[in-house]
Amino acid sequence: MVKKLFRKRSINVCIVNTGGCNGCDIEIVSCLSARYDIEQYGIYVHNNPKEADVLLVTGPVTLQWAERLKEIYEKTPEPKIVVAVGACALSGGIFKEGHVVGGVHKVIPVDAKIPGCPPRPSEIIEAILKVAPKALAMREEKLKEQLKEKNIGQNEKLKNRI
Amino acid sequence: MATVPIGPIHPILKEPLRIKLILEGEKPVDAEIEMGYVHRGIEKIMEGKHCHKGIYLAERVCGICSFIHTMTFAECIEHISKIEIPDKAKYLRVIACELERIHSHLIASAVYNLSIEHETLGIWLLNVREIIMDLIEMITGNRVNMGYIVVGGVRRDINREMIDAINKKLDIFVEELKNIIEVFETGPLIALRSKGIAILPYHEIMRTRAVGPVCRGSGLPESDWRLRHPTYQELKFKPVWRKEGDNFARMMVRHEEILESVRLIRKCLELYEESQGDIRVKVDIKGGKGEWRNEAPRGELLYKMEITDGGLIKRIMIRTPTVMNLEAYKYMLKTCPTVSDAVSAYASIDPCISCTERTIIAVKDGKEVPIKFGQI
Repeated sequence: MVKKLFRKRSINVCIVNTGGCNGCDIEIVSCLSARYDIEQYGIYVHNNPKEADVLLVTGPVTLQWAERLKEIYEKTPEPKIVVAVGACALSGGIFKEGHVVGGVHKVIPVDAKIPGCPPRPSEIIEAILKVAPKALAMREEKLKEQLKEKNIGQNEKLKNRI
Repeated sequence: MATVPIGPIHPILKEPLRIKLILEGEKPVDAEIEMGYVHRGIEKIMEGKHCHKGIYLAERVCGICSFIHTMTFAECIEHISKIEIPDKAKYLRVIACELERIHSHLIASAVYNLSIEHETLGIWLLNVREIIMDLIEMITGNRVNMGYIVVGGVRRDINREMIDAINKKLDIFVEELKNIIEVFETGPLIALRSKGIAILPYHEIMRTRAVGPVCRGSGLPESDWRLRHPTYQELKFKPVWRKEGDNFARMMVRHEEILESVRLIRKCLELYEESQGDIRVKVDIKGGKGEWRNEAPRGELLYKMEITDGGLIKRIMIRTPTVMNLEAYKYMLKTCPTVSDAVSAYASIDPCISCTERTIIAVKDGKEVPIKFGQI
């Protein structure tokens, strides 16, 4: 609803480092520089999961992070999408044998994956722009339908009571 | 007393760490730091692997200072089995290492400027950094995790055209950076937010065991391990230091170190052109124990290793600088008047959390006992 009226083109991104080596993080940070200028596409990077539309998850999910990541995913408002950045987030990568869960998809549902160790800033921007608008619009419609069904159900309940 | 929890996910933090600030009014009195979110068990994975494989794991201890980790790893093994590497490889290593130091310091400075709400300078610094990233990509073939060093040399050589390109780009870079440093040095609001805040005095360095730019900002130039590195001694390296010990001094040490690094790279390129030979030698690894220290962008980096004949890693221990600098952060809080200054003081020590978390602690009879090297 809000997304359709006045935040049509804005995408708020939250970086979640679940135990990576920082390589993907600094590539996301260098997207802010004037050469790539991520804000010209309407993407705003900050680390607040409660306002975010897109969760950029980097790194293999360590054992300490498994519960926390679920909590953060639940706290993010709908509609939301998750993008896994880097080889570690895809499958556990080089740390597969270590103290990690291995892959973000084992903990929360993932919408898009960007391979590379680390992926270039241009690839990250491209992936977000390709996935985010469509996925967010689809989620929005689904939510609306759910709300309608809920409302109908509630109305019938009210009628029955009367 | 009120407490302000920061992290593990927070707008100011790029990495997961939990800080509990204990406040008296608006003044922070003490801090509790809770770590452990990035523990992956790298040392454990490395055990039993060949050192040609282990070097890739050492690279991924930290993404920002990935090159210095591989360099220390390789030099530790070369020190144990007494391998002489060719001159060309020595200079190429120093060039890549200094380029990495420049980009690490620039990102530290940018994050600090963003934390004192000076967004213009922050974005400028990030933009200038792209020139250095291009150079790194040209020399090593990748932007962040380079895979450039092998035990016994380096992978790729540079040619005449590359040397010209490096010199030309460094000229552009220095011109732009000097302008930025002038803005940082003379800007009245920046001085107001950083001078005299979060002071770490000279006599408290020993208590906090601070290393790197934090230590050199408080007046201890001998803490630079490049003074004891053979290749740097050849280049007549001089450390940069200041004696004020506040946020401003720490950031200025970083800025001046960038200019010093540019000088080192130019000198290395001259010496590289004079030297001849191959860039890589065939290695014959002998077993033994040994340790090697290097100066990472954030401070002293220690690798301690035990290897077998042929190069299997028996046990490895890595100590990274951020552990000591985080301890120094508690002492800095005494001169932080507000919470936002505590945040900028945190940014000024340039923390790297993914470096930090490899400590093994065993619980014995209810007491926590750190495991010593050689026990496993």
